[in-house]
Amino acid sequence: MSRNPLARRIGRQKWLAVAAATVALGTLLSFISPVFLTFSNLESILIQASVTAIMAVGMTFIILTAGIDISVGAILFFTSALFAKLMLETGSFALAFAASMLCATVLGAINGLLVVRFRLSPLITTLATYSIYRGMAIHLTEAQNIPVSRDVGFLGNGELAGIPVPILLMTVVFLAGLYALSRTRLGVYARAIGSSTRSARESSLPVDRVTVAVYAIGGFVTGIAALVLLARVGGLQSGIGIGIEFTVIAAVVLGGTRLTGGSGTLVGSVLGAVFLVLIDNGLNLLNASPYLYDIVRGGVLLAAVIVDRLSAHRQSGQLLRQKAGRLRMQDSVSGRDDTSALTGN
Amino acid sequence: MTAVFSVRGLTKQFAGKRVVDGLDFDVRAGEIVALVGENGAGKSTTKNMLCGLLEPSAGQVLVDGVAVQRIQPQAHGVAAVHQELSLFPSLSVTENLCIQALPGHAARIDWAAAERTACEQLEFLGIEIDPFAIVESLGAGQQQIVEIAKALLSADRLLILDEPTTSLTAPEREKLFEIMQRLKARGVAMIFISHFMDEIYRVSDSFVCLRDGHQVGTGSLAGVARGELEHLMVGRSIDETHRELAAPTDDEAIRLDSLDSDDFAQVSLRVARGEILGIAGLMGAGRTELAEAIFGLRPCRGTVSVGGEPVVPLNVATMMSRGVCYLPEDRRTHGLFLNRPVRENLSAAGILRFVRRWLPGFGFRGERVEALRIVERLAISVPHVESRVADLSGGNQQKVLLGRWLATEPRACLLDEPTKGVDIGAKFDIHTRIVELARAGTAVIVVSSDLPELLGIAHRIAVMRKGRIVGEFARADFDSVNIISLATGAAP
Repeated sequence: MSRNPLARRIGRQKWLAVAAATVALGTLLSFISPVFLTFSNLESILIQASVTAIMAVGMTFIILTAGIDISVGAILFFTSALFAKLMLETGSFALAFAASMLCATVLGAINGLLVVRFRLSPLITTLATYSIYRGMAIHLTEAQNIPVSRDVGFLGNGELAGIPVPILLMTVVFLAGLYALSRTRLGVYARAIGSSTRSARESSLPVDRVTVAVYAIGGFVTGIAALVLLARVGGLQSGIGIGIEFTVIAAVVLGGTRLTGGSGTLVGSVLGAVFLVLIDNGLNLLNASPYLYDIVRGGVLLAAVIVDRLSAHRQSGQLLRQKAGRLRMQDSVSGRDDTSALTGN
Repeated sequence: MTAVFSVRGLTKQFAGKRVVDGLDFDVRAGEIVALVGENGAGKSTTKNMLCGLLEPSAGQVLVDGVAVQRIQPQAHGVAAVHQELSLFPSLSVTENLCIQALPGHAARIDWAAAERTACEQLEFLGIEIDPFAIVESLGAGQQQIVEIAKALLSADRLLILDEPTTSLTAPEREKLFEIMQRLKARGVAMIFISHFMDEIYRVSDSFVCLRDGHQVGTGSLAGVARGELEHLMVGRSIDETHRELAAPTDDEAIRLDSLDSDDFAQVSLRVARGEILGIAGLMGAGRTELAEAIFGLRPCRGTVSVGGEPVVPLNVATMMSRGVCYLPEDRRTHGLFLNRPVRENLSAAGILRFVRRWLPGFGFRGERVEALRIVERLAISVPHVESRVADLSGGNQQKVLLGRWLATEPRACLLDEPTKGVDIGAKFDIHTRIVELARAGTAVIVVSSDLPELLGIAHRIAVMRKGRIVGEFARADFDSVNIISLATGAAP
């Protein structure tokens, strides 16, 4: 391992697995289809991954604190609905943008507040708010489809300096997240809380504030993702965001973040999002039945966690054997120490 | 040297009960004070008052001669290392050390400075730990040292160490003592809490002895013999060396015929009714694995016979129906239902006896009475039979576990480290109970790392090394040197 402190701090290895898997799958696909390695196909893969990747950045923060947010799909839907509705009624992009970003952040923060204030389990809390937020959105739009104007489409299909806007947004969110995670107290505290909440409280870290903050961050990036998705789809549809929490959480888990908190990387989560798109892309190239997609996605996630568990088992087995070896060494080298332990007391 | 911390009449009441009553002692710079006493004597409460977690009900602590109502850990320079470490396992050593005072701005941490602080601190303690290592990848001893380093970063005048050696191996313990000496030389005062007498004598300068919340002795350790200190702690004489054992019968209770598995090989043993067989050996010699295999908890080849008949199939249910019981080494996770009341823990092994015949499912008849009877018989000190087992001391937890199985009137009993983490008074009680159990005709197998324990209560000691029985000693031939050299494989 490198002596470079920064590289060592980032290099928590686990994301390398998903990186390797992505490269392997990419290589495979490039053999299957000549189209795969074209610039436009690769670009479109990144664009497709952008919504998931942006949300996965926020979800990584939440899961690092040993939390989870099931309601992100509903936040995405509500934000899109609010934005579309405001655009339709006021025509002001600035107003609609500000209002929906604020709203997304607040909805996320509410999840955090509920978890912190009432000491609820994040899983059940956000399962409940998932239903509430989605219901609120349907109420707001009266279950109508609302088209959005062409100039909003810039967020989904436009380019800035030759780079598609979704990819640009994804990069900005990723870099900002990377900075927050490694260079700010918020990031360190978030990992610390997930590592041991008890220790965090004993060390008088601001556990509650950080917890609310990570859910708010999750909401905020979901707001960004919502606008990208809305722009790409071209209007509000009632199906927006259904099941996206699965994709986002799957991306984070595939990226090597521990669901029990404390350990994980943003690189892994973003690569996880790309990997999931590659699978879709591959199935598409193979002309697979669309009904097969969900089965394959679920299967891949299951396979990933099983492999992870097996390697953890092997590792702990190795550690145990090493420890046994050390004990035996102690026997032979400093038998006297152990004999004193035997007679002592 | 003048005292840095002077405790004067320190008292703590909980609900009218004086848990700690009128402590008076001094701690000087560079002095290591051993705080001794049995479980429940008030050591933890004293510790918590000294590190500012609790406010005294009466009395005070003088810091540099100035009276203080409640200790402010950072301002007064007091740090405590509790038994449960307050580390972040998945964070690096540097992050763990600096997390309470990360250098730089909140939105721009200065990691270079943090790493410098961490390196300096580790160097100060004279240890080589990679500051970038993830804490969970370190051994228990190194984690303990990281915890101490962390504590000393926030305060460095008085360090309270609460049983710091329980999870350490022998070399790790040496390292810890070395660090304590180093701190002592730098003038750090320390309060050392431990159950191990030899450790107390090794590192401490003076002692404060508590019994039932009262201070029953204090002073320099140099003038106090070990027996005297033990007597002070327990309030009665404890003599383990001259225990009367009843002669065992000739009836065979349990027999092992060439048991074999990955962890042990060719183990053949025979224990008669009324006999106590001790199994000695080093950690990792396969003793626990053997005990678990006998009880059917882990697969093995060979036969186990109880009362002359082979047990087939060899599993927990058949062993229990043949009247064999097993007390695991790790009672908290493998033996007890920590969150359930004492009553349920006591009746768990024989719960069927209490089921109402005509109204099964409507409570258990006589369970409570039986629980009260056991509590009284084993002198388990509990506030109530409905108290949660988690709230009891180690010794009382072990008694509850023992009581559960004794109630089933077992034919044979497997005990794995029955007195691990138990204070000397409770240890004596448990030994007495084991000896009585044998006198009543039960065959007992005791696995223990505590050789004096086996020398005191066993009729016979079998020595295990690397999964094999390498020798057997009858009580008349007990000799600790021989047993140890057999266990370690050193030349006799």
